[in-house]
Amino acid sequence: MNTTSLETFSLLAPEIVLVIAALVAYLGGAFMGLRAGWLVAAAGIAASMLVARGQAADPAFSAGVSIDAFSTFIRWTVLSLGILLCLVQAGDLFASAVSRGPGLHRGGTCEEAGTFLLLLAGLSLVGVAGDLVVLFAGLELVSIPTYILLALKRTDARGQEAGLKYFFLSLVASAIFLYALASLYGIAGSTDMAAIAASLSADGAGRIAQAMLPLAIGMAIVGAAFRLAAVPMHFYAPDVYEGTSPGNAALLSTLPKVAGIVVLARLVAMVTPAAGPDLLWQILVVLAAVTMTVGNVMALWQSNIRRLLACSSIAHAGYLMVGVAAASAGAVSGGTHLFAAGGMSATLFYLATYAIATIGLFGAIAYLGHRWPEWTATSGPRPPREEISSVDDLDGLSGTNPVAAFAITVFLLSLAGIPPLPGFWGKLALALSALGVDGTAAIDSGSRRAWFVGVAVVLVLNAAIAAAYYLRLIAAMYFKTTKRGVQADGGLAAGVAMLACLVLVATVSIRPRGLLAAASRAGESLTPVTAPSAGASQSPDTLASR
Amino acid sequence: MNDLSPSTLLVLVPLLPLVAAVLTVVLGRTLGGRSFLPALAGIGGAFVVALMLLAGTAREAGLGSGDHDHAPRPVEMVTTLWQWAGVGDAQAAGDAGSSALSFSIPVALRLDPLTATLLVIITGVGLLVAIYSIGYMHGDPGEPRFFALVAAFVFSMSMLVAASNFLLVYVFWEAVGACSYLLIGFWFSKPEAAKAAKKAFLVNRVGDFGLAVATFLLWLTYGTLNFHDTSLADGTLVPGILGASRLADASAYVGGAVGTAICLLLLLAACGKSAQLPLHVWLPDAMEGPTPASSLIHAATMVTAGVYLVARTAPLFVACPGALTLVSIVGASTALVAALIGTVQNDLKRVLAYSTISQLGYMFVSLGTGSLLGFTAAIFHLVTHAFFKALLFMGAGSVMHAMGGVIDMRRFGGLRRIMPITASTFLIGALALAGVAPFAGFYSKDEILSSLHARGWADTHAEHHESAPGGDRAAGLNPFRFATISSEAPVATALDAINTPATFRLLFWMSLITAGLTAFYTFRAVFMTFTGPTRVPDEAGHHAHESPPSMTVPLVILAALSAVSGWWLFSTHSLASFLASTPSFTAPSVAATATPLAFHWDIAIQGTLAAAIGIVIAALGHLGRRSDGPQMERFLGPFETLFARRFFIDEIYSGFIVKPLELIATVAAFLDRHLIDGLVDGIARIPLGCGAVIRRAQSGLLQRYALAGVIGTLLIVLALVARAMGQ
Repeated sequence: MNTTSLETFSLLAPEIVLVIAALVAYLGGAFMGLRAGWLVAAAGIAASMLVARGQAADPAFSAGVSIDAFSTFIRWTVLSLGILLCLVQAGDLFASAVSRGPGLHRGGTCEEAGTFLLLLAGLSLVGVAGDLVVLFAGLELVSIPTYILLALKRTDARGQEAGLKYFFLSLVASAIFLYALASLYGIAGSTDMAAIAASLSADGAGRIAQAMLPLAIGMAIVGAAFRLAAVPMHFYAPDVYEGTSPGNAALLSTLPKVAGIVVLARLVAMVTPAAGPDLLWQILVVLAAVTMTVGNVMALWQSNIRRLLACSSIAHAGYLMVGVAAASAGAVSGGTHLFAAGGMSATLFYLATYAIATIGLFGAIAYLGHRWPEWTATSGPRPPREEISSVDDLDGLSGTNPVAAFAITVFLLSLAGIPPLPGFWGKLALALSALGVDGTAAIDSGSRRAWFVGVAVVLVLNAAIAAAYYLRLIAAMYFKTTKRGVQADGGLAAGVAMLACLVLVATVSIRPRGLLAAASRAGESLTPVTAPSAGASQSPDTLASR
Repeated sequence: MNDLSPSTLLVLVPLLPLVAAVLTVVLGRTLGGRSFLPALAGIGGAFVVALMLLAGTAREAGLGSGDHDHAPRPVEMVTTLWQWAGVGDAQAAGDAGSSALSFSIPVALRLDPLTATLLVIITGVGLLVAIYSIGYMHGDPGEPRFFALVAAFVFSMSMLVAASNFLLVYVFWEAVGACSYLLIGFWFSKPEAAKAAKKAFLVNRVGDFGLAVATFLLWLTYGTLNFHDTSLADGTLVPGILGASRLADASAYVGGAVGTAICLLLLLAACGKSAQLPLHVWLPDAMEGPTPASSLIHAATMVTAGVYLVARTAPLFVACPGALTLVSIVGASTALVAALIGTVQNDLKRVLAYSTISQLGYMFVSLGTGSLLGFTAAIFHLVTHAFFKALLFMGAGSVMHAMGGVIDMRRFGGLRRIMPITASTFLIGALALAGVAPFAGFYSKDEILSSLHARGWADTHAEHHESAPGGDRAAGLNPFRFATISSEAPVATALDAINTPATFRLLFWMSLITAGLTAFYTFRAVFMTFTGPTRVPDEAGHHAHESPPSMTVPLVILAALSAVSGWWLFSTHSLASFLASTPSFTAPSVAATATPLAFHWDIAIQGTLAAAIGIVIAALGHLGRRSDGPQMERFLGPFETLFARRFFIDEIYSGFIVKPLELIATVAAFLDRHLIDGLVDGIARIPLGCGAVIRRAQSGLLQRYALAGVIGTLLIVLALVARAMGQ
C-alpha cells in the first residue's frame, strides 16, 4: 500500500463529485425548492459521469480501491440507474393539497435529493471497493440514506412502520455481515481483498481457516441476501414496499440489489479457490432455487401492486444468484468452461435488464399517481381520489391511459422473460450459464451438473409461475373496463423515466449484444480468479511471514 | 429507363402492390370511397414494370431476331435481396463429405421467360380486375379491405412466381392461400361464405402438406432448396435444383422411388392449389367471394400456381415418367369430370368454376406429356385461359351486378337486349373457351391436343423420346442418404408402367370429349343468359341496366385479347420459343423433345368438330327458349342427378373423412376439457398452495422476521460447516 492518498482520491473522483453535489443540495435546500434539489442531483450524476468517463480505462489499484472492468460496469450501472431513479423520485410527489388520502405527504425537502446522492456515492464506493473496510463503509453509506429516504417520503403510520422495519432488519444484517468480515480478517490477517484471496489460495491455509471459512462465507452470504432481498432475509420486502412510495420502491428494488451482487461477486472471487470444491456453489444454488420459488409463489397471492412487485423482486434475486452460483462453480474448475465463466456476466446483464424494467414499472406507477373512485353526481359529494395501489386500480388502464398501459405491459413482459424483450435474453444467459457448468458431463445424481441442470429447470418453471401474475396485471389493464378516470398526477418526470426505460428496453431487445458485451467484460474481469496486480505485490510468502 | 437495372425492376413488381396494400390498410378510412387508388396505382405500376421486364427478357432470349433454329439457351437472372436464414455450412452427417447440406435461405428473386410471362399476366389481369372492382365494389362497406387484399394477393402471387427457392415458394404458396381465404370469406357475415372460405382453406392444407414434405425431401436429396446455383464464401459452387450446372447434366435428377415421391408430393400440392381431382371440391364453393376476386384468384392466376409449380419443376418430373404420366391422368380425369358436372349447373358462376377446373385439367394433361411442346402448350393455355376466363367471370359479375345479386340462370334470360356490351364480350369469351377458331382457346387447346397426339401416336409424329427410367440417376447425389431405397423400388416401376402410348391415346380421346362438353356447357350458359324472352328477377328492380364503364372497359379489353391473343401468339411462335429459354425447359431431357412448331390440320378439325357438336346440342336445347325449362333433366335422365350432385364426391368426403374426424375431435375435445385441463389446472394449484403456506410467514411482526433471518443464518452456516467437515 505504497500509493499516495492523492491517487486514491483521483480514482474516487466520481464518488467525490457525487458527495459534493449532495452537499450543494443540502446547503441549497435552504434556498431552493425540491424540484431544484432533484435538478442538482441530476446535474451531480451527470458531472460524475463526465469525471468517470475521463478516467483511464486501465485497471488501477490504490489503497482499498480497485478500478477494473467489473467496478467500472457497476459504477456506470449505478450512475445510469441514478439518473432514472432521480426522475422517478422527482416525479414521486404527492400533492397533499389535492389529495386527502392518508399519509400522502407533500413531497419532502431538498435534503431528499442530497440523501439520494449520498446513497449513490456509497453504492459506487461498494463497486470500487478493494478492501473490506471500504466495502463495509460503502454498504453503510447505502443503508443510512435509505433509512432517511424511507422516513422522509411518507409520514403516515405505514410509512413509519416500513422505515423502522427496514432499519432494524438492516442493522441485524449489517451486524452479521460485519462478523463475516471480521472472520475473514481473522483468517487472512488483512482487509485487502486481493491479499485475502492470495492468502486463502496459498497452500496450508491452516486449520483456523478450515474452521472459520464456512462461518465467514455463510454470514457474508446472509449479509448479501438482505441487500438482495433473498431468503432468508427477504421478509421485509413486501411490508416495506407496500408502506412506501413507488419511487422508494423503485430504489429499494434496484440499488441494494446491485450492492448485494457486488458483495457476492467479490466473495466468490475471494474465497472460491480456497473454499473446497463444493462449499460455495451448492449453498448458492439452493438459496437461488428457494428464493425464486418463495418470491413467485408469494406473488401469486398479492393484490397490492407494490407488494406484488416486492415478491417479484425476491424472485428476481433468486434468478440473479443462479449466475453467481455458476460463476463460483466455474471458478472452482479453473474457469475453463466458457458459459460458467459467463455466469457472472449473465448475472450482471440480468441485473441491468431487470433494473431497467423495474424502474420503468415503478416510474409508470408513480406517474399514474391517483385515480378517481367511481362516482356519480347523485351519490353525494365526490369522494377523494385514491392512490394507485391495488391491482384492481389498473383495471381498464388501456382505455384511460394507453401509453402507460403499453409501457407497463412491455416492462411486465420483459420481467416475465418473453422474447425478444431484455428479460428473455437475461434469463437465457442465466440458464445457459447454469447448463454450461460441466456442460459435457453426464447428468449423474448428485453431480455438479445435475445440480445446475436442476436449478436451470427450477428457473424455467419459476418463469412460468411468474408469468401468471404478470399476465394478471396485463389482463386487468386490457380486458377489464372501468369508469374510473386516471389522474396521472405523479409528475412529468416519472413519465419521462417511464418512456426512457421503454426506449432502453426497446434498444436492448433489438440489440442485446452491446450490453451483453459490457457485462461479459465486467464478468470476465472477476472470474476466473486471478490476483490483481496490487495483490501480486504481496506474495503469499510475505503474507505468511506476517 | 436505362438507369433502372432489371433487378431493381424485378423487386418493384411485388413491392409496389405491397406498398399499395399497406397504404390501403393505413389510409383506408381516410380515403373513404377512393380506397381503390393505392391498389390501382400499385398494381398499375407493377404491370408497367412487368411489361418492361418481359420486353427485356424477350430481348435477352433472342426473340425477334428471327432465328428460331438454334437451340434455346437458358435465360435467367437472379437477384438476392438478403440472406433470410442461414445455418452455417452444416456438414452432412455422413462422412461422404462431398455434399454440404448447408441450410441457407436467401430471399432471392428470379427472372426468366416463365416468370416474366406470368408476372405480366398476374399484374395485367390484376390491373383490369382492380379497375373493374371500382364499379363492382362501389359502396360496399368493406371496400378498403377488398382492395388491400387484392393488392396483397398480387404481391404474394408475383413473389410466388418470382421466388427462386422452394422455401420462398412455400411461404408465398401459403400467402396466396391466405389471401384467397380472406377474399372467399370477404362477406364473412354470410354463413355460406364463411363456410366456403373454411373449406377452401382446409382442402388447400392437404396440398400444402404435400408441398412441405416435398420441400423437406428436396433438401435432403439435393442439399439445397435454391433454384439457382449459389457459391459459398470459399468459392465452391452449390448447384441449385434448377441451376445451370445441374441442368447441363442429363443424369443430375433423382428418379426412382425418391424422385417419384417428390414428384407425387409436388403433384399433390398442385392438385390442392389448382383444384384437381380429388382436391377440386373447394373451388366451386369459392364463388361465394366477390366476383372480381373470383375472376383474378380463382380463375386467372392463383389456381394456375399448380401448373406453374409442375412446369417449374419439369426436369424433376421428366426424370420420373410414372409421376409425369399421372399428372396427365389426373388432368384428363379432372377435365372430364368437371365438364360433366358443369353441364348441369344452373348457377352461372358455378358453371364457370367447373369450367375453370376443367381447363386447369387441360393444362395438367399437357404438362404430363413431358415434352417441350406439352409444357409450353400448358403455359400457352394458362395465358389464353387467364384472358377469356377472367373475361367470362367479369361478364358474369356484370350480370350479377345488374340482376341485383341473382346469379341463377333460370331466373333471368334474354339479357342481350339489356346489356349489349356484356353480352357480346361474354360471347367472345365463350367462343374462346369453346375452342372455336380463330379465338384464343382454339390455338392453345389445339397445341395441347397435339402434344397428346404426339405421345399417343408417336410413330405418326416420327419421333420417339421414351424417357429412360431414372432409377440409377440417384447415384452421385447423396449416395449415402437414400442408398437403401434409391434402387428401383416397386412403386416407381409400377407407376412407370403407365407411361405407355396407349395411356396417352385414351387421354387424347378423353380430352376431345371434354372439348365437346366444354363447348356445350359454355353455350348452354350463353343461351340461357342472353337469349330467349327477356326476363329479370325481382331483385334487380325496374331499371336493370348495363354496367358502368369502369366495368365494361375491362370487359372490352379482355374480349379483344381473347379474340386475337391466340392467333397472334401461335402464328408467330413467339410464346413457345420464348418459353423454351426458361432454364427448366432447357434441361436436356426436356429440350430433346423439341419438335418443329406446326399446325396439325387433322387435330384442329377433330377439335373444331367436337366444339361444333357441343354448340349445336346446346343450341337445340336452349337457344331462344325460356331458361327455366327442364331440358337437362329430360335429356340426361338419371345422369342429371349424378352430375348435379357432383358425382357425390362431397358426400363421400363428408362420410369418410369429415364425419370420422369430427368424431375424433369430439372425443379429443372431451378429453382435453376434462382430463388435460383438469391436470393442468391441478398443477397450477400447486404454486398457489405453496404460496398460501409461505404467506403465513409474512406476519408483519418485526421480531419474527429478525428471528427467521437469524435462524436462516444459523442453518446456512451449519450446512457449510458440516459440508466443510465432511470433506
